[in-house]
Amino acid sequence: MKEQFEPIYNLGAYEIQQYQQNRYPLLFIDVVEEVRPGEYARAKKNFSYNEWFFPAHFADEPNVPGFVQLECLAQTFIMTFLTFPEHKGKKTAFLNVNNLSMRKQIVPGDTLIIEAHLKSFKRGIAIGYVEGKVNGENALYVDIKVGLPDVMKAYIPKSAENK
Amino acid sequence: MNNREKYNNAFIESLDVEESQLAGLKYQDVPAWDSVGHMGLVSEIEDAFDIQFETDDIVDFNSYEKGIEILKKYSVVIE
Repeated sequence: MKEQFEPIYNLGAYEIQQYQQNRYPLLFIDVVEEVRPGEYARAKKNFSYNEWFFPAHFADEPNVPGFVQLECLAQTFIMTFLTFPEHKGKKTAFLNVNNLSMRKQIVPGDTLIIEAHLKSFKRGIAIGYVEGKVNGENALYVDIKVGLPDVMKAYIPKSAENK
Repeated sequence: MNNREKYNNAFIESLDVEESQLAGLKYQDVPAWDSVGHMGLVSEIEDAFDIQFETDDIVDFNSYEKGIEILKKYSVVIE
């Protein structure tokens, strides 16, 4: 039977760092408003002109780089399984990104609301769907696969160890 | 679809290989059969036969032929 965990609410920057290893300047999400471990996470990211990337991307038309947007989604997604007690604080790795669609430019002053859905979590591999909205409008969405290397290495076939 | 076809399809779908490549195929013989691809292959076979591999069997499963041998433990016979 699937183990159930209590929902977690309103994790701020310090608490988020207890669950994942991303740190400034690459920890992007500001608050994780709700997590249902093994199922769902919702987070928020506020973009102000103080972000380090805006002066460079671009001087005359500041907007959030695509990799930052995608990373915001990934950082929300990993909360769906790093909130399992046995995986808290572990490192993660991107395995696959599919159907990434970026629908809207995100600019200083925007707030990105991210919702992540975990479809499957097996042997250290998490598969899910994540979407981000600004002012209720779709900004981007993606099918994502993320791994926990620490867990995955327990399942590597024997022959690989000899290579 | 018989068990051989189901088994072959799991390889073809998850590792993007041709049926003609399957005999003798070993872990890491093709780029897609790496540690990540292995997890996909294992899941595909579990779904195809409605079984759940034990960890030791996932680690031992390092070739097309070895997989057939391991599946016998789960009462799946590939003829």
